[in-house]
Amino acid sequence: MAIINQATKELQVKIVYYGPAMGGKTTNLVQVHDHVQTAAGNKGKLVSLATSSDRTLFFDFLPIEAMSIKGFKTKFQLYTVPGQVIYNTTRQLVLRGVDGIVFVADSQYDKMTENVESFTNLEENLKTLKLNLQEIPYVLQYNKRDLPNVAPVEYMEFLLNNREVQVPSFTSSAHRCEGVFETLNMITRMLLHKFVSQGTPQYA
Amino acid sequence: MATLPQLIEEDVQRLEEILRELLAQTDGTTALIIDKGGFLISNFGDSRQFDLTTIAALASGAYMANQTIANLVHETNFNSVYQQGEKHSMFVLSVDDYCMLVVIFRSQLSVGVIKYFSAPAAASIAEQLQVAQQRDPSGGLDLSVLNVADTADFFKRQRGD
Repeated sequence: MAIINQATKELQVKIVYYGPAMGGKTTNLVQVHDHVQTAAGNKGKLVSLATSSDRTLFFDFLPIEAMSIKGFKTKFQLYTVPGQVIYNTTRQLVLRGVDGIVFVADSQYDKMTENVESFTNLEENLKTLKLNLQEIPYVLQYNKRDLPNVAPVEYMEFLLNNREVQVPSFTSSAHRCEGVFETLNMITRMLLHKFVSQGTPQYA
Repeated sequence: MATLPQLIEEDVQRLEEILRELLAQTDGTTALIIDKGGFLISNFGDSRQFDLTTIAALASGAYMANQTIANLVHETNFNSVYQQGEKHSMFVLSVDDYCMLVVIFRSQLSVGVIKYFSAPAAASIAEQLQVAQQRDPSGGLDLSVLNVADTADFFKRQRGD
């Protein structure tokens, strides 16, 4: 859960990028790291715990300090999970303390089953942490829209966003940095709006 | 889900005092209190030569991974983790359900000393967190005053990209 430190006037928020393997979660973080406009020293190092072939093994981690709100320094911690099915325990660990989720789906037609499986896995893992997806802000990102064999957005909406309350969704080509900042800004807005509407965040 | 209590100035000062005392007793370099979700809560000692935000995230991940290993070998938990290096070493000790104590120290120092003094320090931290937990939570900040819905985009792309 987000931490608000009244003594040091800091707000810390954890956002996790979730989704199927090779969907572009790490690419999202790399693009944010490479292109975000921040004051000097406000962007941390991008840490990737990856295999030699650049597959995420544990997680990627990017701390960024955003603009301050009414005197509170806002520190965002962006994480990715490993998408490969076998690393489920690791995904559960990374989800601990999550405040907001970006679900990065792969738009290629032949990846639809993996998208749905990953989404179901997300719901299951949240349950093990006694969390409910309905209570956590999340957005959907339909990535790899630049590839030729992509499914229509309407179809992906039907598969992943077909619920009572629909969440914002974005099309993206993360490797071109298209849709990356739009997604991040939306989850940020939803997070802070959630805090506003709840009025009882976790404090530190 | 583990949640931290509200900490006010008094709590943070007490936590820093505990860390200061621990470093004085052990000659450790840096001591941190971190949340098991990866957030840095408090630190004392040399903070210039280390990236404490990233250390907090990674130490928490490493500790939680060890907890899972503990379960796999039918242990309730491994409540501490010791990483030995050539220049610096690190000792991580669970404080309670929500927090951990991390001590970074020169490798020439004996880990026994670190372990010996970390245990009562962790107990004092837990005690202070308990005090904070029992305090009336109504003194918290109402974030609605932030009115963030009116702010512009938080993250902007650099111009010319």
